[in-house]
Amino acid sequence: MLYTTSVDKAIIVDRLVKDFEVSQKEPGLSGAIKSLLSPKKKTIHALKGISFTIQPGELVGFIGPNGAGKTTTLKTLSGLLYPSSGFVEVLEYDPWERKPELLKQIALVMGQKNQLWWDLPAIETFELNRAIYEIPTRVYNENLKELVDLLEIGKFINTPVRKLSLGQRMRMELTAALLHKPKVLFLDEPTIGLDLIAQQKMRDFIYDYNTEFGATIILTSHNMDDLTDLARRVIVIDEGALLFDGALEELVSKFAKEKIIKARLAGGENLKGLENIGKVKKLSFPEVIIAVPREATAVAASELLQNFPVEDLTIEEVPIEDIIRKVFRGELAR
Amino acid sequence: MKKYLQVFKISFQEEFAYKLNFVMWRVRNVFQIFLTFFLWSTIFANPQTVVFGYDRSKILTYVFGIMIVRALVMSARAADISSDIAQGDLSNYLLKPMTYFKYWFTRDISSKALNLIFAAVEFVLLFIILQPPFYFQINLLTLFLFFVSIVLAVFIYFFILILVSSLTFWAPELSWGGHFLITIVVVEALSGALFPINILPTTFQYIVMATPFPYLIYFPVQVYLGNITGQAILGGLIIASAWCGILWFAMNFIWQKGIKAYESTGR
Amino acid sequence: MIKKYLKIWWIMSKNSFVMVLSQRLSLSVFLVGKILRFMFFFLFLFFILKGAGTLAGYSGTQVIFFFLTFSVVDVISQFLFREVYRFRPMIVNGDFDFVLVKPINSLFRVLLGGADVIDLITIPPLIIATIYFGVLLKPNLLGIVLYLALLLNGFLIAAAFHILILSLAIITMEIDHVTMIYRDIVSLGRLPVDIYKQPLQMFLTYLIPVGVMVTLPAKAAMGVVAPWGVVSAFVVGIISIFISLRFWNYALTKYTSASS
Repeated sequence: MLYTTSVDKAIIVDRLVKDFEVSQKEPGLSGAIKSLLSPKKKTIHALKGISFTIQPGELVGFIGPNGAGKTTTLKTLSGLLYPSSGFVEVLEYDPWERKPELLKQIALVMGQKNQLWWDLPAIETFELNRAIYEIPTRVYNENLKELVDLLEIGKFINTPVRKLSLGQRMRMELTAALLHKPKVLFLDEPTIGLDLIAQQKMRDFIYDYNTEFGATIILTSHNMDDLTDLARRVIVIDEGALLFDGALEELVSKFAKEKIIKARLAGGENLKGLENIGKVKKLSFPEVIIAVPREATAVAASELLQNFPVEDLTIEEVPIEDIIRKVFRGELAR
Repeated sequence: MKKYLQVFKISFQEEFAYKLNFVMWRVRNVFQIFLTFFLWSTIFANPQTVVFGYDRSKILTYVFGIMIVRALVMSARAADISSDIAQGDLSNYLLKPMTYFKYWFTRDISSKALNLIFAAVEFVLLFIILQPPFYFQINLLTLFLFFVSIVLAVFIYFFILILVSSLTFWAPELSWGGHFLITIVVVEALSGALFPINILPTTFQYIVMATPFPYLIYFPVQVYLGNITGQAILGGLIIASAWCGILWFAMNFIWQKGIKAYESTGR
Repeated sequence: MIKKYLKIWWIMSKNSFVMVLSQRLSLSVFLVGKILRFMFFFLFLFFILKGAGTLAGYSGTQVIFFFLTFSVVDVISQFLFREVYRFRPMIVNGDFDFVLVKPINSLFRVLLGGADVIDLITIPPLIIATIYFGVLLKPNLLGIVLYLALLLNGFLIAAAFHILILSLAIITMEIDHVTMIYRDIVSLGRLPVDIYKQPLQMFLTYLIPVGVMVTLPAKAAMGVVAPWGVVSAFVVGIISIFISLRFWNYALTKYTSASS
């Protein structure tokens, strides 16, 4: 059942700024006394005036290194944090006002964190949410059944949450978050800590939820697979500023021009020749790391294997943080 | 020996690190004194009142005496042992070449040193503010016996803390509950921290004096004030020492049993 | 609206109860501890009054009534606001975010979300004892009405304090000691605040209004309270709630949320 929303923009963010004040403490006894008498504060500029809009039904990946401001943005959009300045609108409401009408249409899911009551079976939390979101009984039962089937949690719905594995807990978490069929879903690192199979299941579910129900989804992640599988559009943020906002293909082809070959060598002769294969990033015998242009990866790898005594070889993507930092430093030719 | 000196130093610093923690703890101590002081002050508002053999100056002296004795006897960190056990941190310590009990005793002494300094300051301040009649003991023998009773009290309290913490070996969810019940409720009531034991009817007095608790505060303070003399002091010291011994054996016995239970669950 | 909040309070309390009941040993230990603590002080008062006769001009029955009134306010506050003691972990591990995102008043959740079942057991006998001693004082109808109204006012003030504590926790992450100090100060109200010298008495009447919370209602029941005292009590109650709610809203703007 596709939800039609009457709004034409689900999320609007305009020049959003968020500053935090942190107190500085010096070490030692004198530092402790000093901080008691004249506390020093430092301002951290978590978000430096970012702007973007999201249409209803979009699935957007929000990526950046640690501390970039991804979670801060999500939390501001969910009304948890108060903007220092700028304009934020979700489904035509100001999220800070936390009006019930808005809160009943959004949901926040954070990886490895639970809204479920720890010592009780998940079903008790579901019941509580039903009362909180004022979900009519018939609708609640329908939604619950749907989610239980989709996420395959029927067997442990009555098991105390603390006895469940992380993967099972995250599925319960999703169920609790989606019982009220939110139109906007904020997912903060939903796959963190999950094994590969659980990750894939999570991704499949998110994809289905987006296509079948037309929900707007913002997803933050450190996990490249989350993005390549799910996000059609990607927003890159680093140190509180947006670096890129567009299709994922563009980002990868624009910035990740290289691949990384890691090899372990059996012999140490003629190591200079490695430089003919590609850019040697690190050489500490017997390990060597070489960066080669994307298109030339296969050729470079076979050259390496032919001309050098290679014991072990892996080919990796440049980590996304590297791409991002490169872009920021303006190092990568566009 | 050197390593225990280190422990002493670090423990001292740690209490400073949690300075807010510590300040609050002292503030709370001061409030306790306020309650007790004013309560008794009011009961004895009429200077002629004599209740259970106490007049105004004697009772207020008692209250102030409690301040110092509490800092000496009941400032202790050993209650934290129960959370070490409950959270499995005990394993780290059992691996180290340092006797666990000596470690905690050193930490207790460190705590007492710090608390004593503050208690002394508070004593002076409150003395100036509340101006109680206070009796300063000068008899050397009495002071010596007072000192002995304090030493016994320190050990008794330490053993009690470990015994109560040991409950956690068999019931990890009781790491706080056990101390609440025994260390806080029972000890507070029966140690003389709230009222001198001899205001109770005689039968009750005998019963309470047979327990180890009044030897923590009531007995030392009374020795200092010269309210207990001669044979009574000797009798009291003997009972206190006996309890010291009993608790020492009980503590070691239960602890051994506890360690076995702890290791068998492989935490 | 009220129905919704009542229903949610019921569910949360039920959950809270189930969790505590499952730890029967802990439950019994705390129950015994609370009962002993009460009994010890009660016995202590009993012996004091036996020996001294009166206290600050109040008869034995009256003094005990003061203590019982204090206990009622204290225990019911702890019953309702037990969740406040669990707030710090909630802030530290970021679970508070989940509370804020729900279409329910966040303050409601963290203030009233964890009613304490242990107190459910201790409250009825306490109320009975209070009524017993209260009746011994032969209060008139006005006295009884004022007593109840001022007790309610006392709970309002207690709520205001707990809200203050929660707000401070958001701003400073420190809560346990503030809570303990609050309890220590309120425990000075075990006895009529008249026994305290000035300025402590002023402090306990107007700043941390223990006198208003506990001593005043008991005095009203005994018919020894001045009308202006009653009025000022309600004023204090209303102002304190007002200030604490404003402070709570302010604290939320300072919320930084645990980092991921």
